[in-house]
Amino acid sequence: MKRIRRFWTGVAAFVALGLSQAWADVTVLGWPGGPEEAALRKAAEAYNAKAADPDKVKLIFFNRDGFFDKLAADLAAGSKDFDLNLLATYAIGRYAPFMDPITLPDTANDVFGEKVLATMQYGGKQYGVPTDLSLHFMYYRKDLIDKLLSDPAWKKRYEEISQKLFGKTLDPRSPDDWTWDDWQATAMFFTKSINPDSPTRYGSVLQMKNLLFNMMVWHSTARSQGGDWMDSSGKITVDSPAFRSALELYKKLYDAGASPKDSMTYEYAEANAAFGSGQAATMLQWNAAFADLDNKDKTPAVAGRIGTAPPPAGSAGRFTHIHGLGLGLNKASEHKESALKFLDWLATAEAMEIYAKAGGSPALSDALTAKLATDRPDLVKLGQYAGQYGFVMNGGTAAKALQVYELQAKEFTAYWSGAKPLDDALSETSAGMTELLKP
Amino acid sequence: MTRSAFQRSQRREGFALIAPLTGFLLVLLGFPLLLDLVYSISKVGFETIRAPEITGLGNYAKALADREFWSAAWFSLRFGLLVSGIELTVGLALAIFLEPLLAKRPWLMAFLMLPMMVAPALVGLMYRLILHEFVGVAPYYLSLWFGDSPAFFSNDNAFKTLVAVESLQWTPFALLILHAAHSAIPLEVREAAALDGAGEWKRLAYVDLPLMGPAIAVTFFIRFIDSFRVFDNVYTLVGAGAGGATTSMSIYIYQAFFKVGDIGLAVAASMLLLAGSFVVLYALNWAARR
Repeated sequence: MKRIRRFWTGVAAFVALGLSQAWADVTVLGWPGGPEEAALRKAAEAYNAKAADPDKVKLIFFNRDGFFDKLAADLAAGSKDFDLNLLATYAIGRYAPFMDPITLPDTANDVFGEKVLATMQYGGKQYGVPTDLSLHFMYYRKDLIDKLLSDPAWKKRYEEISQKLFGKTLDPRSPDDWTWDDWQATAMFFTKSINPDSPTRYGSVLQMKNLLFNMMVWHSTARSQGGDWMDSSGKITVDSPAFRSALELYKKLYDAGASPKDSMTYEYAEANAAFGSGQAATMLQWNAAFADLDNKDKTPAVAGRIGTAPPPAGSAGRFTHIHGLGLGLNKASEHKESALKFLDWLATAEAMEIYAKAGGSPALSDALTAKLATDRPDLVKLGQYAGQYGFVMNGGTAAKALQVYELQAKEFTAYWSGAKPLDDALSETSAGMTELLKP
Repeated sequence: MTRSAFQRSQRREGFALIAPLTGFLLVLLGFPLLLDLVYSISKVGFETIRAPEITGLGNYAKALADREFWSAAWFSLRFGLLVSGIELTVGLALAIFLEPLLAKRPWLMAFLMLPMMVAPALVGLMYRLILHEFVGVAPYYLSLWFGDSPAFFSNDNAFKTLVAVESLQWTPFALLILHAAHSAIPLEVREAAALDGAGEWKRLAYVDLPLMGPAIAVTFFIRFIDSFRVFDNVYTLVGAGAGGATTSMSIYIYQAFFKVGDIGLAVAASMLLLAGSFVVLYALNWAARR
């Protein structure tokens, strides 16, 4: 009898312990499959090592494909399967109704700075901790550009190509000084079908798939010509010379064969594969690609020979699209207190140091970045470019911003593929955006 | 027991027997259908999913007036007809010409069925790799042997590539059904035709194919229905395509629902598709009766 009682007491204690664990753990839904996942795992590991049992965090990840759609459906359904979830600058307006605003400790300002904290704000309220900042680099093959800048025969050929392209002779320039014309001429020069002596098959690799993220990459081109989604009065301004010339630039490069034939289906991974194979000389790509491309084990064909520069300059200057990824609080969470403790910790210098060293890309204050410069030299450029060239389109955080990106992706890819004239694509985008962004 | 009492008892028993199935259908089909009907006549998004505002038939009108709806319907129709036609033709040819081999070694059928066992989304991803210009096997060897490789996913070729990928995966299904139908034809019928002087082609045209007629029709329609509502392969390979060039009906509905967040429009489009399916089924039923 005694034994039986002891057995049941043991079972009850075990179940109670298990249940308390199951009820107390904070579940975090993170951005899957990239450096962000690896970094979040390390940060969670460090946090769990010292957090009290009820505050410990566990991580879950969806597939990247359709991530934001699935997240929208879960949040709208009031899912309690996660307490903290990924948040992106361009989707805050969409998710804000299903999330709780948060108040970060004052020290968060010293860690991130106001501009970066603002990437996680909507309607004047803070919705998340900005864990990663994304912007674009112009990736180029350092070895090839060095030769172009020094070899007289290559220079002469470059001048001939630029003369044919623009009716004027351009001299090769360093990517840090490129205008879009310089990039275009360089891309043509390194295209085998245009210049049979080119060591690469293509001068560039464009991401032209009907996908919202590809619009973000392309936007730097339009913004540098002075383009914006709308003016200060709320009037949609995409049917403009800036958008027109930026769209024409991509089409000209694609039609000339300076980008792979299947570019209309290319996104992040395909573009990296092309550049990583050593067959494309330049690529406008997300900063997150650098670590893998420069890794000798993963990309032996180009690692160690990659240079990065800010996107080329247009008539209005040099710009790069910028957005933040972060973690915010699900309104339906049943562990808000514990979840907030994790967010508070995540906004500390200690947490961000761990996160950055594990591969994440936080935009941190100068003092913190300097501390991390040996391990993560790319973070120095990240902070620098974000401050100097970063922009968010006017309306880029609106509740329907994602739908605007989707609309542009559909219309602009129709133009690039030749299925629709430019005038129609621009006027239909303008009409659609007027409807989507009306107050 | 009187006759009428017996009939009442029989009826009660009948009701009792069909009650579980009826309940199952009401819960699992009836409720979602009712909800869909409400959503289809409502203004509803993710934010208002629990409080749709009934607005009338506007969503249906919007779908019917949407050029992309018709373009998606046309894509699905072309894709469905072409793919099921190819699968049927190739499956039929394989069923007839592989018959002697499969009769001797039936285990070979298991290998021929393998493509069907793979999830369509995975097949899409697999071909995305195989056909990629820089890492794919196909472009590598084509460039090596012929000096160049076609752009499999360019606007001109994307549709053909999708048809090929779908046909490669699902032809084994046609083969399976048609092989079973072909094997079921009694040997004596063929022998009688041979004794009457019919050659191989005549036996095929006048004996085999007519006897396999119902199986051929069923195979075609199953594959047509499946290909018409294609999603996974297409979405993982090329997405909605440049300017929506490869948007099937399923992708159209998915995009309206998730990407645009216009749940009313997405559900109205689904209901139109359902109504269309009923018309086709009714027509088929009518044709079968005649």
